[in-house]
Amino acid sequence: MLPATFHRLTLDNGLTVIGEHHPHAQSFAAGYFVTTGARDEEAEIAGVSHFLEHMLFKGTERRSAEAINREFDELGANYNAFTGDERTVYYGAVLPERGAELLDLLTDMMRPVLREEDFAMEKQVILEEIAMYDDRPSFKVFEAGNRLYYGAHPLGNPILGSPESIGALKREQMLDYHERRYAADNLILAVAGRYGWEEVVGQIKAATRHWQAKGATRRHSPLSGAHGIEVLRRPNVKRMYAAAYALGVSVKDPRRYAAAILASCVGDELGSRLYWALVDPGLAESATLSHDAADDLGTFVGYLSTAPEQAQEALKRFRQVLVELPERGLTEAEWRRAQRKLATGLTIRAETPYGRLMSFGTYYQATGEYLSTRESVDHLLGTPLEAGQAILKSRPFDRLFVTALGPDGLTI
Amino acid sequence: MAEILQQTLDNGLTVLLEPMPHLPSASFELLIPMGSATDPRGLEGSAAVLRDWLFRGAGEHTSRQLSDALDELGVRRGGHASVEHTTFSASLLADLLRPALGLFADALQRPHLLDSEFEPAKALALQELASLDDNPVQRVFVALSEQYFASGHGRSPYGSHQALTAMTAEQVRQDYQQRVSPQGAILAVAGGITWDELLTAVEASLSSWQGPPPAPLEVELRPTRVHHLPAETAQVQIGVAYRGVAPGEPGYYEYALATAVLSSGMSSRLFSEVREKRGLVYAVAAVNRAVRGLGYTLGYAGTTAERADETLQVLLYELRRLSRGVSGEELARARTGILSHLVMQGESSGARASALARDTFLFGQPRTLMELRRLVEQVDLDTINAFLATQADQAFTITTLGPRALSA
Repeated sequence: MLPATFHRLTLDNGLTVIGEHHPHAQSFAAGYFVTTGARDEEAEIAGVSHFLEHMLFKGTERRSAEAINREFDELGANYNAFTGDERTVYYGAVLPERGAELLDLLTDMMRPVLREEDFAMEKQVILEEIAMYDDRPSFKVFEAGNRLYYGAHPLGNPILGSPESIGALKREQMLDYHERRYAADNLILAVAGRYGWEEVVGQIKAATRHWQAKGATRRHSPLSGAHGIEVLRRPNVKRMYAAAYALGVSVKDPRRYAAAILASCVGDELGSRLYWALVDPGLAESATLSHDAADDLGTFVGYLSTAPEQAQEALKRFRQVLVELPERGLTEAEWRRAQRKLATGLTIRAETPYGRLMSFGTYYQATGEYLSTRESVDHLLGTPLEAGQAILKSRPFDRLFVTALGPDGLTI
Repeated sequence: MAEILQQTLDNGLTVLLEPMPHLPSASFELLIPMGSATDPRGLEGSAAVLRDWLFRGAGEHTSRQLSDALDELGVRRGGHASVEHTTFSASLLADLLRPALGLFADALQRPHLLDSEFEPAKALALQELASLDDNPVQRVFVALSEQYFASGHGRSPYGSHQALTAMTAEQVRQDYQQRVSPQGAILAVAGGITWDELLTAVEASLSSWQGPPPAPLEVELRPTRVHHLPAETAQVQIGVAYRGVAPGEPGYYEYALATAVLSSGMSSRLFSEVREKRGLVYAVAAVNRAVRGLGYTLGYAGTTAERADETLQVLLYELRRLSRGVSGEELARARTGILSHLVMQGESSGARASALARDTFLFGQPRTLMELRRLVEQVDLDTINAFLATQADQAFTITTLGPRALSA
């Protein structure tokens, strides 16, 4: 593994800049991690985080929308942005000699002008994106499942919003949201690959000297967490999709490694308990479990897709695998296999500055701590089976919640 | 930029390595020239079933033991069954390449192909085929290929329901004997291992592999046409196919850069005209595809019904307008983008292993990043616009899927 150096500095305006320097990297990646997402929205502005993410590409005081698009392409950048429940991320990767230009562009974008005509045009694009996902039941089942499982907890908010909330959204509401959520102290700039730290800091200090801290906070509410099953039937859906939920551990909880390994033992795409029970015999196209460690709570998230006529049997077996876990336990061998697969995944992702940016940037944003690839792999491989058994002892899957989505006439 | 080492074994298998000595990891891709295009008549979907069945027990391992052994090595498995070939890929820690390759070699050379594992493999292939029913984007491209190709290239990699249901274990075993062969197969590796280490691993696992040569496959197109599939979807799916330049033929890099002007990045023509200026879609794109002997472009847009006619018109207008040439700025942006992406591809073992396998299959030899750089830099405004001028009479095969047919 190449020696990497970690850099960190919080500027006077509250903006945190972090970096992982790889002297031999051939590229440079940078990203603004904004601590805001669907969970930070009130119902009347549902979808504003994601819509705003689009609007950041629509122009600043210094640049038009065309100029932003053109400059990214002139830099030869791999770039994009995404919005989640808890974060919105804007990123790009370029050759190291174009790094300063990439930083100038990304930094400028954080202060958009949100022109009325661009707002109206982009609203159409967002509505098309919502329509696109309407044709993807594997997405819709999670949108509905999240709403039903999280209930009043903001993690149940839909990232895209709805045609109604987007249709009714006003530019002023977005401006206000941006003002509150894109304050300097709610942003982290992360860089990775080959760069000069002093140059990065000097450039960002100058470019953000007018930025201000606003002390943005996030609502943390208790989760009651539904359990049981909810079946949704839609005439246009041909297959059956199920989203399953059970309580996990938060990203700040030291048990998160154990939770991730446990989820992989039970529900990795290949070679897991769910794979052998459902996919190997051809009873399901897909049957997986992962662990989603969020800010204040974690969730084991399951997914199942199969033919409607096999839904009943498949769901029964899916549930059985999870419920029997505390009695059947996990073996040392399957624990080790899951650890090694996860460790390979981390190592492969670390090959590129972009992969590293996403790994350490996301983790730093969630916890305020830095982890090198080596440390992550060591934590993972050093987590004993007992840590997984301890999670099972609390019987999280006894209160499993399932949302099933299928065609009219689906029986579960 | 890195060199590529290669050797073709006596049994016909081509072995390639791009060393990335600074990496603790490595990736490989094993490509065999078996795909839906050469599925025997009446056995459409056989390659897809075989891809799965091969790993359900091989050598000294049962299905579960084989899977566990790969997991024990921490191997991340991937790959897919496509029209011309089937790939088996893996990412892993570099020093575990030898045992991992041994397990893959077992699956290819000594699969058990038990009756008891055949029905589940078939059931899984049927599940994957049926999943298309809820995937309108995939469906439109499967249908578009059927309309575009007259040869076996138009066959769906998922197979047909009728053939999958009727297929027997014995038929697919015979197919295995014919098509899972080292002749024409490619093993491409990239990452932190040396050529000697790789050759030793290959010698131990794949050098004794034997099999017949692949059947010849000629590509043939149908006359272009417009075709609609009725479906009650929220969005209309639009797929367009048109002819480009085959890998290795003159004009190939001009063609690659021209499509980049059309669709690479947010300043590209399709993104700015269809999405940015008109707000007609969320997704619009054109990508170059190739099979042996043919290069072609697939265009795509998805939009709601009331905007679908206009979307198709603007899409086709932009596709046709390309033959009138590109500007110096457009070419410069496209070139910078490709060159920059090549450098980044060179940082990823998985991306390089996959590119080496694909290039060797399509071009007959791999392309180094250095060579690609030179070929892309050679394209100038005169050569690209001269090439585009020859594309003026382009004809399009169009497939749409949605509540109603469009007026093209």
